[in-house]
Amino acid sequence: MKKELIEIRVNGRNHEVAAEPNVLLLDLLRQELRLTGSKRGCDESSCGACTVLVDGVPTLSCTMLAASCAGGSEVVTVEGIADHGALSAFQKAYGEWGGAQCGYCTPGFMVTVRALLDRNPEPTEEDIRHALSGNLCRCTGYNQMYQAIKAAVAAEQERHGQ
Amino acid sequence: MTDFSVIGKPVALIDSAGKTSGQGKYADDLSLPGMLIGKILHSPYPHALIKKIDTSRAEAVEGVVTVVVGPDAPNKYGILPVGHDETALAVEKVRYVGDNVACVVAISEGIAEQAVELIDVEYELLPAWFDPEDSMKAEKDWIHEQRPFNIEKDYHHVFGDPDTGLVEADLVATNRFLASEVTHAAMEPHCTLASFEIDSQTGKPGRLTVWSSTQVPYYLQHKLSIVLDMPMAQIRVIKPLVGGGFGGKSEVIPLEIIAAVAARKAQAPVKITYTREEVFWTHRGRPRTIIDLKTGVKKDGRITAVAARVIQDGGAYCSFGVVTILYSGALLGALYDIPSIRYDGYRVLTNKPACGAMRGHGTVNVRFAFESQLDDLAHKLGIDPAVIRRRNLLKPPCITVNNLRVQSYGLPECIQQVIERSGWMERKGRLPQGRGLGLACSHYVSGAANSIIRSDMPHSTVNIKIDRDGGVVVYTGASDIGQGSDTMVAQIVAEVLGISLGRVRVVAADTDLTPIDIGSYSSRVTFMNGNASMRAADDVKKKIVAAAARKMMCSPNDVIMRQDMVWKRDTPEPGTQVRQQAELAAEKGSVQEVSGRVEGQILRGSLQQKRKEEGPKDQMSFEEAVVSAIDFSGALTGTGSYAPPKDARGGAFKGSGVGPSPAYSYSAQIAEVSVDEETGIVTVHKVWAAHDCGRALNPVSVEGQIIGSVWMGLGQALEEEMVWKDGLLMNAGLLEYRSPSASESPEVEPIIVESVDPEGPFGAKEASEGSLAATIPAIANAIFDAVGVRLREAPFTPERVLAAIRSKGANGNGQSQAQSKDRPLQITRGFDPSAPKTFREHGGLLWFKGKGPERHPQDPARRGNPAHPEAGAD
Amino acid sequence: MSLPTFKLLRPRTIEEAVGFLAAHGAALQILAGGTDLIPSMKQRLFTPPVVMDIRGIEELRGIYVTPGIGVEIGALTPLSAIEDSAFMRRHYRVLYEAAITVASPILRNMGTIGGNICLDTRCLWYNQSLQWRRSCGFCIKKDGDLCHVAPGGSTCWAVFSGDTPPALLCLGAEIEIAGPSGMRRIALKDFYTNIGDARCKLESNEMLTRIFLPETTSGWMGSYMKLRVRGSIDYPLAGVAVAFRKNGGPIGGPIEDAQVAITAVNPAPLLVPGAAHALIGKQINEHTASVVGELAAKTAKPLTTSALTPEYRRDMIRVFAKRAVLAAAQG
Repeated sequence: MKKELIEIRVNGRNHEVAAEPNVLLLDLLRQELRLTGSKRGCDESSCGACTVLVDGVPTLSCTMLAASCAGGSEVVTVEGIADHGALSAFQKAYGEWGGAQCGYCTPGFMVTVRALLDRNPEPTEEDIRHALSGNLCRCTGYNQMYQAIKAAVAAEQERHGQ
Repeated sequence: MTDFSVIGKPVALIDSAGKTSGQGKYADDLSLPGMLIGKILHSPYPHALIKKIDTSRAEAVEGVVTVVVGPDAPNKYGILPVGHDETALAVEKVRYVGDNVACVVAISEGIAEQAVELIDVEYELLPAWFDPEDSMKAEKDWIHEQRPFNIEKDYHHVFGDPDTGLVEADLVATNRFLASEVTHAAMEPHCTLASFEIDSQTGKPGRLTVWSSTQVPYYLQHKLSIVLDMPMAQIRVIKPLVGGGFGGKSEVIPLEIIAAVAARKAQAPVKITYTREEVFWTHRGRPRTIIDLKTGVKKDGRITAVAARVIQDGGAYCSFGVVTILYSGALLGALYDIPSIRYDGYRVLTNKPACGAMRGHGTVNVRFAFESQLDDLAHKLGIDPAVIRRRNLLKPPCITVNNLRVQSYGLPECIQQVIERSGWMERKGRLPQGRGLGLACSHYVSGAANSIIRSDMPHSTVNIKIDRDGGVVVYTGASDIGQGSDTMVAQIVAEVLGISLGRVRVVAADTDLTPIDIGSYSSRVTFMNGNASMRAADDVKKKIVAAAARKMMCSPNDVIMRQDMVWKRDTPEPGTQVRQQAELAAEKGSVQEVSGRVEGQILRGSLQQKRKEEGPKDQMSFEEAVVSAIDFSGALTGTGSYAPPKDARGGAFKGSGVGPSPAYSYSAQIAEVSVDEETGIVTVHKVWAAHDCGRALNPVSVEGQIIGSVWMGLGQALEEEMVWKDGLLMNAGLLEYRSPSASESPEVEPIIVESVDPEGPFGAKEASEGSLAATIPAIANAIFDAVGVRLREAPFTPERVLAAIRSKGANGNGQSQAQSKDRPLQITRGFDPSAPKTFREHGGLLWFKGKGPERHPQDPARRGNPAHPEAGAD
Repeated sequence: MSLPTFKLLRPRTIEEAVGFLAAHGAALQILAGGTDLIPSMKQRLFTPPVVMDIRGIEELRGIYVTPGIGVEIGALTPLSAIEDSAFMRRHYRVLYEAAITVASPILRNMGTIGGNICLDTRCLWYNQSLQWRRSCGFCIKKDGDLCHVAPGGSTCWAVFSGDTPPALLCLGAEIEIAGPSGMRRIALKDFYTNIGDARCKLESNEMLTRIFLPETTSGWMGSYMKLRVRGSIDYPLAGVAVAFRKNGGPIGGPIEDAQVAITAVNPAPLLVPGAAHALIGKQINEHTASVVGELAAKTAKPLTTSALTPEYRRDMIRVFAKRAVLAAAQG
């Protein structure tokens, strides 16, 4: 199939990319834009390693045509999660609390957690568990992720309280 | 003694920011100019001869560069020297559905996928073997000619006097246990990028560089040299970040070899990334296992003897199989004091993907059987499950009946800890019907005392370089696969040199740069590479201390290095003095002048100037000490290596090489579960897991490893199983192979027990695998406590649990009368999970028993053709 | 795994979409949330020359309430919108409960209610890669002429695995279908065929546009129970939806109207025959619940299309139906 020009906005920047209609958003991000943070873990839309935000909503980039995001959608990848070039509080907490081991699922989790905290800045453990249930991790058993997120939330609360 | 600066404190992994920010690079994130993509054609048959391969149609596709086939690289390899039975691509025959037949190299993934469909292969079908007990009886059509009766290896070990032991026992239990096959399912699918460079002297393709998702870069280098007929020195293997291993990347995986062969033939860099389905076909996971176990005990619970017959369904290639079957027997010892052991182990070949090493290698399924049976014996004797275990403890230091040396032994404290934390004494037996507690223990090696390729070479070597900038660069061959070995190395070096972690940079797992380490498997890295790191740091520290001693005019014995400072013993700690100076300066409003140390950086010129002006002193910064040492001896380097001591290398019998380790970790766990007696659904509420890791160098990592192990055990206990139908894997993906989600994953309370091993680095030993094996029997025992049924077939899926409950109800010896009118085993199709006999396959019918491709559109056996199958019942 | 090549259409209105459907017919595949279609295309279960991405049709999105009539849900409304709607939670409890069990939170952000209704039937012998299916032998549903699940049979037993349709059936939902001759509206229960490889009565030039819930079932008590191995991600291995109206609300008297439907055990979501009769006029208790359980199990015909044994799944339909009746009565 012929390539078509796709205008796509990723992490606040506009890109024009020539791509075939069957190109997945994940492949466009990784191969054309060299944003390799989003990972491919399965081929069945079940693991969540490729999660990105499309218009603020956690979305599997392996299950989305790149062309479907053309013309106006705002895509945010893990590379766009950081806070002015430094780690966001929850990203840092993931390191400190052991939320990331091999790290391969971590970008997907980072995007999911970003969306969770944007929507619900003070989630309960039940909220966190529920929000994370669409991302698979094979290393951590998830426990330390909850600790990390709770610690980050507490730190944020303290910061705002002062 | 325990006053450490860096170790023992929780620190973020030194590569964690790369992981959370997405900047870290895994193999599939790498690309090279002109890079091509490889796609592999897999066998559709479980067992067939290849009569002909015609690649012409594929090669004709625009964008296809070349097609690689078996004869392009026919040299055999395998991870074990006794198991060289694989080739890059099938040469004469295929041995499982998914075996590697050919590889298309093209300019894009899409084109390669399209071209793979156009390779024409002519096969001649052979009878295939799927069940290990059938396979052992095969008189012909063996999977490998050199392995009669499809037996890869069998071992028959007798330690002590098991016959007498069983006669003298007051109670003997005899049961068959079955454990289904499970796989690593690491989140990162395997990926390899291979590239040749042109040699400047010859002008021809010369050195090969391979970036690969591997736990064993040095073994990969070795096997590549065998298959490609190249000297090892011409091959560089680099391990980027690896997205989880669990043993699935602990041997040379077909795509790693295929990518290199393809790059050679295509004359361009080639990357191959497995699809998730290919990861399942490559597998190398935990084999499904039959365990016929007999344990004899005295009335007081003392074990008199154990006899185990273990059959492992190994799949079509040896892989780590010989080691797996040996571990299953060897690690019957070293947990408890067992006076007599008989072990008969059979590693059997079948026409299925090869099994290999997986977290808890060889020990997990046998431990499930043993701990379940011990629980049963305790129940029958009326002894508390914790008490029966305490009555069978080892008394270290000791040598077990099968020649394993045990020095540190935290098991008693592990048991004590989980009993206290879980409220075992108060709650066991007092929970409502349907809820229960179960206890089990396990152990694991801290690396094998004997390497795969027998030699006296050290198992790990580490180099350190310190230059005038005061930065410490550690070169280690250890492969960080997410477990945190780079951080462990940095911590140990920082601790020894008395410097902050931020000063250490780790260069790891690059065969050109780093000295050999045999890999990340069998939980060897902290113990062995950690010891080598410690020795390398000690080596370089001596040089710094000597220079500092001269400078401070004291004996080297009186030089203390801590907190990035070096000082003379019995003088005020620099911390205090520096602080006082700073306070003084602040009062005066003047600029602080502490030589050389400004936020971890130094100003070299001023430092040298200062040094000239200074006379003898009592203290100096780390940089000053380093510079004085460099002045004296040139650039600072240190080296250290580790080889396990001779007395830890085991006995002299055949097969004694597997099992011995310089140290063993210990684990005790209690699981709390509830069982829905109407549905058979088991909910795990909490697991208390105490693990003796010798010393926790980084507690947050140790806890993460304990939780992760327990959690993976939980997956194998309740959800995960590879479902087979005549050698066809029914669930080759993360949707149907169910790795637990956050929803049902329970809280795990990790409890660190520190027995401080005399030979471990700072006393540390294994932390990443040992806990897994205890989880499965802990859950099985908790199910027994909850509803009185004993599951002897894992995983304990709802249908199995319900069948066991109903079967017990139907036998009229239990409380549950529910559904006694139903044929109790109907829901498991007659298979009794309390007394299993054979593996149950998926229902339905594979019409042609491996003749499936005849149903392809191009095949004459399709609709309208007479070759219709026999009809059969489901 | 890459996708097969295709021409992509992105209509902005129903009219435009219907025009494309008329032009391309069977050569066209409709793409909405993509959570089922995209992985299936990777596996080459679908290789359409034309894909029509309907995500841009804004008029197909949203939940609209018309007092006195009922609720209209656009086919493109993501399942998460139903999950997040306080109105749906309060008034159409059974649908809410079903929606929150679908796959995982991320997949519910993407997957649409229309997609869940039109979900392709699933089978372990079918939802596999081309390579796998070639190894096994192609089946009736795709490229072959045999069934591995019911050997000897000539019909496809692939199982319908949507969670929300049984709830919608209980609520008396109707659906609107757009086609070349305009819109038609049918009861959801008449939409399915119970044939695995021809699951619904949607012509190749038609598309599902809206779902209607009558006000008569607003406020019905309800419950959905789903059998799965994992707490998230999984498709149902058995599912039961129960909804009823009780005289006097939660505590009060007998059942006035009721429906029970099951999923994931037949090639279609099915209303359980006789279940309404067994409930109407009765008080909810263990006995009435058990009667419904037996009826539901009788309706279920699970086969080896899925994980766990068919015998177990059928029995769980019985248990879950009983439990769902009791749970719904708790309000």
